[in-house]
Amino acid sequence: MSLQEETMKKCLTGVALFLCMIIPLPVFAGVPLETVKGNVDKVLDVLRDPALKPESAKKLRKDKIRAIAEKMFDFSELSKRTLTQHWSKFTPEQQKEFINLYKSLLEDSYADKILMYTDEKILFTKEIPLTEKTAEVQSTVIRKTDEIPIYYRVILKDGIWMIYDVVIEGVSLINNYRSQFREILVNKPPESLLETLRKKVKKA
Amino acid sequence: MKRIYKYIFTVVLVVCPITLWAQPFPEADAAVLTSPEIAPADTAPMDFPQPLSLSDIPAQSAAPAIVVAQAIVGEEVPARELATFAGKEAQEEGEEEVPLIADPIAPFNKAMYHVNDKLYFWLLKPVTQVYSHTVPEPFRVVFSNAFDNLMSPGRVVNNLLQLRFKAAGNEFIRFIFNTVAGIGGLGDVAAPALGIKKQEADFGQTLGHYGIGHGFYLVLPLFGPSSVRDGVGIAADRFMYPLSYISSNELSFGAAAGIFAGEKVNDTSFHIGEYESFKDSAIDPYIAMRDAFVQYRQKKVEDSKK
Repeated sequence: MSLQEETMKKCLTGVALFLCMIIPLPVFAGVPLETVKGNVDKVLDVLRDPALKPESAKKLRKDKIRAIAEKMFDFSELSKRTLTQHWSKFTPEQQKEFINLYKSLLEDSYADKILMYTDEKILFTKEIPLTEKTAEVQSTVIRKTDEIPIYYRVILKDGIWMIYDVVIEGVSLINNYRSQFREILVNKPPESLLETLRKKVKKA
Repeated sequence: MKRIYKYIFTVVLVVCPITLWAQPFPEADAAVLTSPEIAPADTAPMDFPQPLSLSDIPAQSAAPAIVVAQAIVGEEVPARELATFAGKEAQEEGEEEVPLIADPIAPFNKAMYHVNDKLYFWLLKPVTQVYSHTVPEPFRVVFSNAFDNLMSPGRVVNNLLQLRFKAAGNEFIRFIFNTVAGIGGLGDVAAPALGIKKQEADFGQTLGHYGIGHGFYLVLPLFGPSSVRDGVGIAADRFMYPLSYISSNELSFGAAAGIFAGEKVNDTSFHIGEYESFKDSAIDPYIAMRDAFVQYRQKKVEDSKK
């Protein structure tokens, strides 16, 4: 091998390395994780706020969480993915009502679950691209006697990464609700599912 | 002698529910088929989770339970399980499908679900609340470590059975280190000192690791949601539990039951509110729990293959 060839090889390696550094890997590296983390932190701030702790401030606390959740979750995506092929059985009005009812149910459910971890350390460990427009953001709650993995699945909608599923210890939220809704939708019309949800939301 | 009773107790706990429901199977089935709450073939393409292949199970310590299960399940399961598998939906974007489980003994499981529910609200929760108020948290953490340390040998064995040698080795070192330096496992000193975390593994997972399916859903009293496979797993894991090998002169059945209860209460003291929250957010808690169980165990089996 001549000296010239060797120099060229070195040059090429240098160029290749340089290219690796300047070309962004996947376009969204880091963004989904930061987005989810920012939103979870906001929810935790509300839940940890001593002024909002007392029972009397429950309504205010709920409203604040609702406002954050609105930007954090993609509720129409969540609804579609939960109902899958049943979705088309709903009329546009029914779909709208379903999204709203499901939203209230999920907000309470999520706030309840994350509330249990407000005093614990939550680490955001990594993100894994699933498809071009979806990714999984992984977090771990460190507790005194164990650790709980919470994964957020996000989708890119209008330039914003929004959550369409939360997977706690391997249990996907939308899969879990799907199995429950299916039992109703198999034999009954969409209206009866809406009725069940109305009752549930009213009680909470 | 008493030690044998302990084994029988464990095995009976697993086998009883199966045998109880072995008799009225055909009738119960007819009911299941016509019952409106169980999904008839609502979605077009239905696959079935792997059938329970009992012939594949190697002969091992929990043989009695397997034999009984085989006697019952072996007969003519496939045709009647058709109706009890809830339909599976293919999801867009190639996401993973919902794991399913057969529930041919749903009436029994629902009854057991309610028993466990009442046990929690009427007994376990009040006892635990008093306990939490009396025993400060640092002590409870210490107890939790000690109880958990006793399960460590089982984790070593199961990691070995799953051929995860690194995990088995780590868990072994962790067990020795925590037992010696952590004074009988009172402290989990291996985590900060050696950077070794707990390497979870259980026998139900081991069976799953080798492709053995759940069989069917089974709600066990005290233990909660399980399946034929995982019930066998619980029984087998008892054989890897050190206290099972202490002679009955030193550890009476009563004392062993006391330890079990103490472990349960101590463990629950860290989880008060979780079951309540789960129930609050569910539309149908029975189905929600069954589905959560299947998803949770599926994840464990997948993790064991990494």
